[in-house]
Amino acid sequence: MVFRRLLRKRWVLGVVFALSLIYFLSSTLKQEERTIRDRTLLEARDSDHHIQWKIKFILGNSSRQISQCRNSIQGKSLLTDELGYVCERKDLLVNGCCNVNAPSSSQHVCTSCLANGCCSIYEFCVSCCLQPDKQPLLERFLNRAAEGFQNLFNAVEDHFELCLAKCRTSSQSVQHENTYRNPQAKYCYGESPPELLPI
Amino acid sequence: MLHLAKVAFLSKYKCSCPVRFCNIFWSLSLSFLEYIVAFNGYFTAKARSDFISSALRDVDAVNWRIVRRDNPASDYPSDFEVVEIRQDARSSLLTLQDHPYIKRVTPQRMVLRSLKLTDSGTDGASPCNDTRWVQKWQSWQSSRPLRRTSLSLGSGFWHATGRHSSRRLLRAIPRHVAQILQADVLWQMGHTGSGVKVAVFDTGLSEKHPHFKNVKERTNWTNEKTLDDGLGHGTFVAGVIASMRECQGFAPDSELHIFRVFTNNQVSYTSWFLDAFNYAILKKIDVLNLSIGGPDFMDHPFVDKVWELTANKVIMVSAIGNDGPLYGTLNNPADQMDVIGVGGIDFEDNIARFSSRGMTTWVRSHAGCQASTCLSMASESLSMLVFCLSSTVLNRELVNPASMKQALIASARRLPGVNMFEQGHGKLDLLRAYQILNSYKPQASLSPSYIDLTECPYMWPYCSQPIYYGGMPTIVNVTILNGMGVTGRIVDKPIWQPYLPQNGDYVDVAVSYSPVLWPWAGYLAVSISVAKKAASWEGVAQGHVMVTVASPAENDVSNSGEMTSTVKLPVKVKIVPTPPRSKRILWDQYHNLRYPPGYFPRDNLRMKNDPLDWNGDHIHTNFRDMYQHLRSMGYFVEVLGAPITCFDASQYGTLLMVDSEEEYFPEEITKLRRDIDNGLSLIIFSDWYNTSVMRKVKFYDENTRQWWMPDTGGANVPALNDLISVWGMAFSDGLYEGDFTMADHDMYYASGCSIARFPEDGIVIAQTLKDQGTRHLLFNLMMIIIISVGNHLYRYSKVLEAHLGDPKPRPLPACPHLSWAKPQPLNETAPRSVHMRPLPFSTTALSVETNLNWDALSLNISLLVLKSFCCLIFLWYSKPWYTIIQKFGLSKI
Repeated sequence: MVFRRLLRKRWVLGVVFALSLIYFLSSTLKQEERTIRDRTLLEARDSDHHIQWKIKFILGNSSRQISQCRNSIQGKSLLTDELGYVCERKDLLVNGCCNVNAPSSSQHVCTSCLANGCCSIYEFCVSCCLQPDKQPLLERFLNRAAEGFQNLFNAVEDHFELCLAKCRTSSQSVQHENTYRNPQAKYCYGESPPELLPI
Repeated sequence: MLHLAKVAFLSKYKCSCPVRFCNIFWSLSLSFLEYIVAFNGYFTAKARSDFISSALRDVDAVNWRIVRRDNPASDYPSDFEVVEIRQDARSSLLTLQDHPYIKRVTPQRMVLRSLKLTDSGTDGASPCNDTRWVQKWQSWQSSRPLRRTSLSLGSGFWHATGRHSSRRLLRAIPRHVAQILQADVLWQMGHTGSGVKVAVFDTGLSEKHPHFKNVKERTNWTNEKTLDDGLGHGTFVAGVIASMRECQGFAPDSELHIFRVFTNNQVSYTSWFLDAFNYAILKKIDVLNLSIGGPDFMDHPFVDKVWELTANKVIMVSAIGNDGPLYGTLNNPADQMDVIGVGGIDFEDNIARFSSRGMTTWVRSHAGCQASTCLSMASESLSMLVFCLSSTVLNRELVNPASMKQALIASARRLPGVNMFEQGHGKLDLLRAYQILNSYKPQASLSPSYIDLTECPYMWPYCSQPIYYGGMPTIVNVTILNGMGVTGRIVDKPIWQPYLPQNGDYVDVAVSYSPVLWPWAGYLAVSISVAKKAASWEGVAQGHVMVTVASPAENDVSNSGEMTSTVKLPVKVKIVPTPPRSKRILWDQYHNLRYPPGYFPRDNLRMKNDPLDWNGDHIHTNFRDMYQHLRSMGYFVEVLGAPITCFDASQYGTLLMVDSEEEYFPEEITKLRRDIDNGLSLIIFSDWYNTSVMRKVKFYDENTRQWWMPDTGGANVPALNDLISVWGMAFSDGLYEGDFTMADHDMYYASGCSIARFPEDGIVIAQTLKDQGTRHLLFNLMMIIIISVGNHLYRYSKVLEAHLGDPKPRPLPACPHLSWAKPQPLNETAPRSVHMRPLPFSTTALSVETNLNWDALSLNISLLVLKSFCCLIFLWYSKPWYTIIQKFGLSKI
């Protein structure tokens, strides 16, 4: 009976209302925040939460002799092999490696790449990314990769695959979903997304 | 409908397979002893028996008896009774019928149904009864339409809160397709898709689903923290593709990779797809099935990513339909030939047509189909097919997106009597595709493989109007598929070789083509015109265009580093003498803009469920009836794809401008005024333009997370007013609709403006119509958010340029100039039949005649490959998810 009378008091109702309003607002806002955060797949991760990456960087792998090369397959005219050589398609050997002696092929080239690690030509991005001194940068990136990127970079097994995957355009490369942040330099091996250009 | 179904069957007979049919015969016989006595109401068994005995009290009781019916219903009242009456006592029936409670007495019919097997011969003249076929079709159409409209726009066209999402889940298909597509034959040969990696991009799949033994991996790319399918769509698609045998899946031993890119609320974003596609490339997926569709908006990141995917040898099969990625746009036709697109997007519509027509013609061509091969079948089943096929091929190296597509196209069989935009390449034959793929030699091919402008109705609309000297060139866009490698180039230039005995020298041909064929494909735009010396000649001319495609050789050291392949494109045209000026009409296409890239609202404001005018207007699409009417009246209609300054007005009687959204160059305005002084007629169909209504029709796009504001009204009335102001005419910004009658013609004025100003000595035919504008304004008083966005027409316009302050016109572009190919005449005649040339494969016979378990169903249904036929003159057909609104010119007079 006392309880019911208490409920009729205006200030009690006010408090109940205010509390529910606060709860409602906070949960809505939190959800909103989460949706926005979830949309981007790269984020600053908690430093205590580290992912065990499978990836192995073989030091000095660019100088080793191999009989069979993987390469970047897709290029319109250029290809990058796993040793970091970029060459024209016609200079590709049967084993998938670039012909080192061909005039068109060169190793670890960063042509068309900007200071922020974004390039306008995919093959050069891969080649640049394969430079041995890019390894700390890539490791730093992997430690920051958001959960959404875990799928991708967990499956990556070595430096070459990491560079192939990292240089591709991704959720990082777009604004308003259907426009590139920077249509000129959209292939990035670096940590930061492409520079945001106005539409 | 029935007719179409029949067509499919007849053409199947022509492929000379022995066919056995299972016919159902119905025979009826009268059992003269039994009668059904129907009562006026429901009575208990005792009451019924009383009624009958009282009615038959004069008849000897041995002559009749009530037939006992022992079924669960016999405890309840019934409205009929079965009575057995001896034949000699049939006169008593009359007395029965006289009873007040008895409604009628009818003889009991016994129905006997029997199955009979008949062997139909190999010829096509089987006298089949239409209704019989329909029964068959219905029998395997077992799925529900799965239309998930995340477009909650249905009622929201006028609402500021209307939301618009870009991609939607698409379709479900009949379950027993495996048999229908003859996949069981491939199974019997031991090909069950082993080792083929298939990716399913959908709503996910539950982990413990009992039917899937080969799910290699499930990944989630959405912002929902689950891998499970809360919707059922993904499970179904995966089931179609690779569930175990008892579920009738296609490639039971394939390796499934489930990508969850749609949330349970059917939300999905381009960025999720980008990341998921990257993963698919990394995982070296062989076949990727994407059952989504949505409106196009030139989503470059997505389009590029799809190219990247196919360039990495992923065969992509997509129910793209109207979806953004896979479209040629106005400016770059034939762009995405690398994807096997599946047309037929609107589920309700499709399934309905599906069932009634039997998959023959239910997919209409639309923009998406033009940029890619469209198969009128669900993408899932095509995916099954594709990897079923890719697993059968002995030399896996040879399977790539191009060769797969070539095989699908080459194995298709044409249906007679159907327009290419309805039927495509014809029916697809799995076994033939298998043969072709297994004897495949890397080569280039063309699609369509020939240009026969005389062939009706297949080449409609090309065949509907002969060409003549001085007319606008007819442009046919042909896709070059290059199975030799991901990149290729055209060696030297394509060569035009007219056949002298067949008047080939009366034809001028100009060819433009993609500089690089990447990935796997490119375009070849053939412009056909008549030479001056044939200005008054009538007849048919033939020749061919020869193209040599070269690709870097990847596996062959001995070669000089390049593989080449030469293809011929036969051309056949009908030429007539140039018609007189008064008979020639020019349709202005240059000033038409459509939805991608900008937001151009619908012309008809009542079509609220899709605000975007993405079909644009074209004489061969939504104005097709007008075109046919004009043609039947003897007029010749040409399409102007360049500024008004680029045509010789002394050759044309009338310029037709319908719903123009574009601005006009000052030079165009001056030139048009001069032309009109020199006797050119001008017909303008304007449309609505009202700034307050334009503000109302904005909507929120979920993908871009932006508000979309229309860039003009249904037409750009201010620009039109500038154009016609010199004659003292102007359109208003009112908005009217209504029905009216003119010359015994009932007509509907959908949404449009009124005439504000007209010269005194002119003639105006007026009609009072309803004012649509004020009504909609009232309706929208509830609207709260008003976002004011400036006019962005300059972003998409060919005429305006972005400037500080007012947009300024750009410099007038040069008129298109075709450089005619130098003919290399051949003194030979064309092969008798130019059409349906298969790829020149050395087909090895396939020994499948053993244990072919044909049943009535498995034989008759195959896929249809819709022609991927890109034309520079745009042939936008119906937008599949709504029925085309017959907005013809006549209703707008």
